[in-house]
Parts: sequence; structure tokens; C-alpha cells
Amino acid sequence: MKSINLKENQFIQFHQKISFKFDGVKYFGYKGDTIASALLRNNINLVGRSFKYHRPRGIYTCGIEEPNALVQIISEYSEPNTRATIKKIYEGMEIESQNRWPSLENDFGSINNLFSPIFTAGFYYKTFMGPHKKFWKNLYEPLIRRAAGLGKPPKDFKGVSNHIHHNVDVTIIGGGLNGLLAAKSLINSNYDVLLIDYEEQLGGIINNSNKISLIDNKEPKDWLKETIQEIEDSKNIKILKNTLVTTYNYVNHLIAIEDRFVGSKPIEGKVNSTLHKIRTGHTILCNGHIERFLSFQNNDLPGIMLSSSFEKYMCRYGLAPSKEPVIFSNNSNSNSLVYSLIKAGLKPKAYIDSRSGEEIEPNLFDLIRKNDVPLYTNSQIKGAFGNKKIEKILVEDSSGALNEIKCDCLCLSGGINPDVHLFTQSKGLLDWDEKDLTYKPSKPFQPTITLGSASGQFNFDNLNSDINEKLKTFKVKKLDVKLELNTNTKYHIEKLWEVSPQKKSLWAKSFIDLQNDVTTKDIRQAITEGFDRIEHLKRYTTNSMGTDQGKISSINALGIVSDLLDKKVNEVGTTIYRPPYAPLSFSAIAGRNCYEFYDPERKSPIHSWHLKNGAIFEDVGQWKRPWYFQINKDESMHDAVQRESKNVRENAGILDGSTLGKIEIKGEDALEFMNLIYTNSFTKMRQGSARYALMLGEDGMVKDDGIICKISDQHFIATTTTGGAATVLGCMEEYAQTEWPNLKVFMNSITEQYATFNISGPKAREIMKKAFPNINFSNEEFPFMTFQFHEFNGIPIRILRASFTGELGYEIYIPSNSAPKIWDNIQSFGKEFGLAPYGTEAMHLLRAEKGYIIVGQDTDGSITPIDLGLSWMIGKSKKDFLGKRSLTRSDTIREDRKQLVGIIPSNKADKLEEGQHIILDKEIKSPVPMLGHITSCYYSSTLGHDFALAVIKNGHSMIGTKAYASTSSMSTTGVDIVKPVFYDEDNKRLVS
Amino acid sequence: MLIINCPYCGPRDQSEFSNGGEAHVKRPDGSKEIGDREWGEYVFIRANPKGLFYERWVHTHGCRKWFNCVRDTSTDEILVTYKLDEKKPNLNNFKSVVKTPSGEPEVGSGNFTVEK
Ligand SMILES: [Zn+2]
Repeated sequence: MKSINLKENQFIQFHQKISFKFDGVKYFGYKGDTIASALLRNNINLVGRSFKYHRPRGIYTCGIEEPNALVQIISEYSEPNTRATIKKIYEGMEIESQNRWPSLENDFGSINNLFSPIFTAGFYYKTFMGPHKKFWKNLYEPLIRRAAGLGKPPKDFKGVSNHIHHNVDVTIIGGGLNGLLAAKSLINSNYDVLLIDYEEQLGGIINNSNKISLIDNKEPKDWLKETIQEIEDSKNIKILKNTLVTTYNYVNHLIAIEDRFVGSKPIEGKVNSTLHKIRTGHTILCNGHIERFLSFQNNDLPGIMLSSSFEKYMCRYGLAPSKEPVIFSNNSNSNSLVYSLIKAGLKPKAYIDSRSGEEIEPNLFDLIRKNDVPLYTNSQIKGAFGNKKIEKILVEDSSGALNEIKCDCLCLSGGINPDVHLFTQSKGLLDWDEKDLTYKPSKPFQPTITLGSASGQFNFDNLNSDINEKLKTFKVKKLDVKLELNTNTKYHIEKLWEVSPQKKSLWAKSFIDLQNDVTTKDIRQAITEGFDRIEHLKRYTTNSMGTDQGKISSINALGIVSDLLDKKVNEVGTTIYRPPYAPLSFSAIAGRNCYEFYDPERKSPIHSWHLKNGAIFEDVGQWKRPWYFQINKDESMHDAVQRESKNVRENAGILDGSTLGKIEIKGEDALEFMNLIYTNSFTKMRQGSARYALMLGEDGMVKDDGIICKISDQHFIATTTTGGAATVLGCMEEYAQTEWPNLKVFMNSITEQYATFNISGPKAREIMKKAFPNINFSNEEFPFMTFQFHEFNGIPIRILRASFTGELGYEIYIPSNSAPKIWDNIQSFGKEFGLAPYGTEAMHLLRAEKGYIIVGQDTDGSITPIDLGLSWMIGKSKKDFLGKRSLTRSDTIREDRKQLVGIIPSNKADKLEEGQHIILDKEIKSPVPMLGHITSCYYSSTLGHDFALAVIKNGHSMIGTKAYASTSSMSTTGVDIVKPVFYDEDNKRLVS
Repeated sequence: MLIINCPYCGPRDQSEFSNGGEAHVKRPDGSKEIGDREWGEYVFIRANPKGLFYERWVHTHGCRKWFNCVRDTSTDEILVTYKLDEKKPNLNNFKSVVKTPSGEPEVGSGNFTVEK
């Protein structure tokens, strides 16, 4: 195919040269060129290899519907599957073709074409089902993955995109003739309007064809300029260019993607795409139509393209891809290509129409006659032939005779379809038009208006009345635009989906889906095999399942199926068009919610001290908590944890507990509310005392625990687990609002307002005395489970005497901003007593030695307080609390429920593993009756051996017996089932 | 994504809300004797109709208030929202779009794209 440059126009100037590389070779194009137009200008027709058979493929279209010309942009992190027909070139751009090896010209994978008779519909399903799954995994899949496919994934990609939200009254999608007219009528109205087009220039059909000769007696170009100016000047209309609407959701919610670097290389670190999230009152769809192709033998050869696309290259890019293309059509839409060619001083090599001479538009007939264009009416192309490009075609004329025509380009038109993707995404219904042979929008589901060819109005005669009628609801001025056309005014089409090949051959291929390499034969075979429902047929053949969603071909497939089944197309139906309309990158969807913004990190006020002091962090929900502290780089985690925990038992340790959830509960009825939320009774509790409390779900299962401080009957402070803070507050609010609205009570999270330090160990009192000399920490003045408010250097603090380690312990609550100072203070006073920080792992070990549970580790939402041996925490005299009634359900009073026990290895040297099963037999012989599992497991240097907590069936009555624990090496370890307390069982140290 | 009209704040994006399941399920009075069946139904059983449904939502990332609504589960349309202490609206006041024998709405179910 030899292309020729036509005249310059407003989109392309021939003095602005741009160099780019395609498969390593340098070429020149012009500013404004797409990759496709630039390649055509350089007479490059072979641009890729097909998905399955590796057949040579060229440029088929001039827009978003392109099935073939997908390329990899090497200069943009190797971005794959880019439509060459959309992407604009820029200086220094590097492009590579896809799915070929070692080169585009000599592609090894094209051997698949030889084997093609076996790669038919359902090939994968048939071949790879069966007993030899290993073959699939080890042989077929890797082979097919290498051979079949599109581009390679991008490398080192760090795309930046942002999101913009819009809230408007009207969104117009498509800035062609109808979109502009709709916008024009809304100029300076009271509506906020968004006008969106995926191209750089508004105008659509006015820019892309020579169909229209005059608008309001003006040159279309001039009318366009004026109208765009008026719209831009209007205060209520915003225009988004280079923006493609990909998704039409419920409640008129649209998603559109804007390319921020059209025609230039994206700058690293700058936003390269914007995702627009649009809420709109009404959506006006003016997104036009898409031309279909036709199926015949080798309809995929490079050099074949859609006729409207050829015209678009002429009008928009000043480029005729060929000097003398053959045109093959079954409808009137290709008329204007003939007109454009002749106007440009070129001439079709032949015009072939499946329609009869009487049906062809008279003015086209005249044009063809006047210019001596060879005309074939009632004729069809039986096939196209050539080596990696079209060289000749075989035409069957009205007499049935075969004519061979040599040509380097073939333009197809199989009719046009309204672009109904967005309309069906909006859940509107379609209806088949038997005259125009296409699906058209019929019943909208949302406030959706369709105008122009998007609504199936393929003629211009009703332009004004249609817009005026459909925009009536806006009560705006009526339009009266006068159009004059260069070609016919009435759309006419004759049914033709497929021409059968001249010679029957296993290798003859008429494609129905170019991107997925589906042939019309595959469709036939699927129907023969019983896949005659359109959704089944789609999956079985993969027809229209490519990234182009079969934009130029899916209706043809429906036509073929309806003929084969002898059903009306409406009965065949259509598969559902799903968002996105065209692929959009994950980075655009992610927007700013990636890297450091993906999930916020929460840090305690002491975080920077931890960083400086060798803390290794663990994530607890969003919180960063010190897991353990390394005193030097060589210290292992095990050593650090044992050192930290030993120090707590012998001297004292300090833990940053700031992440603990804290909720303040206030109000006249706070006491009654707390009694309803927690299992415990707070009525008789003295002011200034604290209590360990459990919260249940209505099903009676433990949901959270914490310490409740009672300041008065009207004022409580509750702590929650680090991960449970939001849920507990949410639960309190829910019940306060929905079940007990009569209670006067308020609650608020104060988690971040207060830092918490836990100082614990036999020397804790000495350290506290030193750090807070004005406070009396004696057992009489400050007993276990009480708290006091104090002021320290003007800072209000609350000290609670409580412990999660089993040692004498104090928790200090300090306003977050003052916390680092007091933390440093305590560190310096604690030094002489051996005070050292400890992390969450040592904390877990210490609490497990003491038999304290962790909700979510030792419980899993199926454990009641009774199962935990915590019946004493249930306020039995209380009439009601969350989940109370469930504690006497038949299921919760079962004796063989899983209950919390302690586990130690019978041979103290043996190891235990978290998550392993407790079983009764030494030998593992399936089926093994499941008793339960180990929930927490540690080595204790205090005990000198491993120990564990476990939940096992009937556990409480098994205490004192022996069992086995499974191991990860598929053996068992003998264990003793003991009480779940391993340290200081009578609490002497707590109250010392 | 839906726009939900919070009775306290006005229309807001769905991402600000959390769903709380069926509305108007009364918690049995704990001070009285409650049978196993009655309690079991309260804890475990919820309706799940296709069509009009009383539902609870909470404006989690807003005023944190709970409220009720009537939602058509077949189209996702929220027909009305109202405060907890307001009377529940009569479902006969709303037109259910569920018409076809299989319970699909005439338009908008998303299960087919062509008019039948
Ligand atoms: Zn609200």
C-alpha cells in the first residue's frame, strides 16, 4: 500500500516534522499524527501479529475501535496494547510491535497458522481437560502463554494519576455535530454542563468526513470554530478533551479517563492521567456510531481497512493510505469516501456493492459513471490474497463470473451501528431495527438521552426536531440549524454478513473477531456443538472477548447466528457490553491511593524514639508497633524477646501502649449503658476503680475486651484492643441510637488524644516513685485495679494500676503532645533499676505465661466467656446485656464446646507449634478426630520450656490428662493438658 | 455507586455509608423471659427479598447517625430514607418494578440488554 500526502489542514502541518522509532528503525511523521497515521505515511502496513495464529496484521481503523494495531510504547515504561490509531506520536517516541518473535517479518509463531485447523473453538477446553493435569501446568500453559497473547507487561512502571470529582446537571458525551448542538442549546442556561470528547479537537463527523457541505450556509470548518468559541465562552459549560468515558454506572455516575500528555512524552512524577468521576442529573449520549466490517476469506490482510477510517485519514491527517483503493460495501455510508477520493483528485480502483444498481444512491451512481470508476453491482468479494499484504481480490459479479482485481488497499463498509456500549452499561434496553440492520437504544433505565447516530438516527433530516423534542425537559431555546450534504441523505443497507470462500479448505479463514482470531467457522462449530445461546457462544469461541469488545464485528456475529438458527436477531439477543468501554490502566484507577498513600500508617507519639532505639516494627491494623528492640544488629528476635521478657520478670519493662483503643463514655445514664454493653456489672464498683471487662456479640461470643475505669456513674473510660477500637465505638453508637435511644449517653474516641505507657515488673513501684515523687504508690494508697488523676509539671495525667504481664504494673495516660517528654523522663529515672523497653512479642509471651487471652488470637468469634473459663466476669444479676440470652442457648451450654486450656510438652525439651492440632492418638491415622488447636505458643525462659494456650473440645474436663500435638513434620508430640495459667497462679505479684 | 440521602446531612456518596441489614427488627426485651426460638430469630434470621426492603444504614464517614430506608434490591434504587423514630412507610406507596415472572425488573436488571 503506497500512501500519499494530501493538503495540509488545521490538524496537520507538514513543516512540523517529528522523528520516532518503530521496531528500532527511525521514521518521520508530523505533529498531530497518530502512530497509525505516521506508519501509513511511511508505507508501513504490517504492524503486528495476531493473537492465536500469528497472522500478519495491519491498521484496520482510525480510532478507538481498532482491533489489530496494538503496539508497545517502549519510551513509556513499555506500556503494552496501546491503540496505534489513538496514540499521538512525539519526538523520540519508541514503539515496538507485539506478539512476534524474532521479528515482525519473520515470526516463528506463524507456524500456528499451519496448525490452525486444530485451534478451533473450544480447543483449550477439549484438549486440556482430562486426567493429565500435569501436562497443562508444565507443558501446554507455558507454551501457549508464550505463543498467544498481546503485549508484554510494563517495566518499572510508576504512573501518577489523580482523581477529579464533578457534580453537574447535564453531561454530554461526544463533541460531534449533535453534542455541539446540544451544548449550544444549553449555552448560558441555568444548568451546569460537562461536554466530553475523547479526541483533541471537537467536531466528530465534521472533521472526519466530507459528508456535510454547509451548516447555516457556512463552511463546516468555520461554523465549527464559531460554535466551539460560543461554547467555550459560556459560563456554565466545561469542556473535557482527550477524555474517554469508559463507564456508565447506576444513578448517572460516569467514569472518564483523561490523557494529560497527548502528543508529548509524559514527564516523570507529573500526573499523566486524570480519572474523572462524574455525578450528573442527565446524560446526553452523542457518541456516534461505529462502522462494521465484512467477513470473507482473508479479511484480515494488511491493507484492508474500514471505509470511514480511510476517509478520516484523508480529512483529519491529510493522508490517503492508498492512491487507488477498492471499495466494497453493502450500504450507503461509503458514498462519502468515493466523494472524498474524487474531490482529492484520486479515484477508487473499483467500487463493489452487494446491492443492485437500482438500490444504489443515484448521486453516487452519477459520480462513479462520470469518473469512469469500475462498478460492480450485485457483487461480492470472495476473498483477498497476498503475502503479508493485500495484492489481489476475487470478485463474484452479478452474473456469477469471477474477476480478479489487483489492488494494494481495500476499504470495507458493512454498515454502521450506534455506539451502544455506554447506553447498555447504563442498563438501557436495545431493540433490533430490521431496516437498518442494527441494535438501537430503545428504553433508557436512567435519565439518559441519546442524540444523532448514537440514537440510531443515521439521516440528518430530523436533526432539529429530534434535538428539540429530546431536550424539551430542559426548557431551552429551540434549534433551527440548516444542513446541506455532499452525498445522499437516506441511509440504506442490504443484509450481508459473510461471503463464503470460493474453495472450501481447512485453511480458509473468514474472521469474525480480528483481535481474538475467531473465524466464522468457529461460530458454526460452536452452534453445531450446542452452544447456541449467545452468552455461551461468546465464551466458547471467545468472540468479542478481546480488549476491543468486538466493536467492529460483534453485530456481524449476531447476524450470522440469527441466520444459522433461523431466529430473529432480537430473539438471539446480544451479549452484555461491560465497562470499561476501552481499557484503562490500574494506575488511573488507583489515583493517589498508592505507595505511601495506599493505607495510612498510624504512629504513636513515641514513634521517633522507637526508631532511634532499635525497634523492629509490626503492623497491628494500621498501627506501627515496636515488635521487639534490638540492642545490637546481631541480636536475633528470639534473643531479644527472651531478654526483654526476663527483664520484666526481674526488673521492670516499659511498653508503649498508645495504640490501645480508648473510648470515653459520659452522660446521665452512662452506668446503665455500660451495664448493657459489657458482661460485667459496674453498679457496685467504687469510683476510681477499674475492672477487666468483656464485650459479647448478640450470639454470645467474645468480641472484645478491655479495662473499664469508673470515674463516676456518669463517666467511664473504656480501653479496647488495638484492632477493635473502631468496631467497639461503632457498636456502642449503634445500640445507643437504635436499641436504647431513651438512655442519655454519649461516647467518643480518645485513642489519639492520649498516649499510654505500661511500666511493669517488680521494680515498677521504685521507678514510679522516682519519676513522680509527689504521688504515694503504696499498696494502701494505690491498690491494684484503681486509678488516680494527677498533675505532673502542669500536665494532667491519669495513672492506672493494672497489669497485662502478671507483674506489678502501672499504666500512665498522658495527653499525646506531652508524652515524649514524660517517656524520656521515665527512661532516665528507670535506668538505675534496669528499666528497658519491651515490644509486643515479649508482651504476648508475658501475658500468655499469666494465661491472659488476646481476643482474635485465642478467640475466633466462636468462643464464649464460659469457654474461656471467665464465667466470673458475667454479671449474673443483670437483667440484660449484649449477648446475655445467647449464653443459655442449646449450643452455648453444650459440654463438648471448645474450651481454653494450657498445654505443655510432656518431655520439656520438645517444641510446640502455633496452629497445630491437639489429638488423642500418637499415630496420625485418618480420619483423625479433631479436638482443637493451639492458639498461642511460646518458649518461656522463666519456665525453661515451651508452653501453649489451646482451645479443645471439652477442654476444662480434660485438664490433668495427656494428649498429642501434631507437628509440621507430620509427627506428634506428647503433651500435658493443664490449667491455662503458667505463672503466679495466686496473683501474689500483681498485688505486691 | 449510589447517592444516599442522609436524613441529617442530605445526599452523599455511598462510600460514606455502611449498610446495617434489615430494619425494624426489634430486640427482645431482656428483662422478660425470651424463648429459644424468639431469641434465635432475632440473632440469626433476616429477610432477604427481591424487591422492596426496609433497610438500615449508618453515615459512618459523616454524622455517624443510623437511619432507615426503603431500597428496591432488584434495582438498587433507594426510594426513601427516614429517621429511626419516624414511622415506617407503607410499601404499597411505592411502585415495585419487579414484574416479570422470574422477578426481574422490566428494565435495569442487567441480565439482558434487548427488549423482550
Ligand atoms: Zn449524615
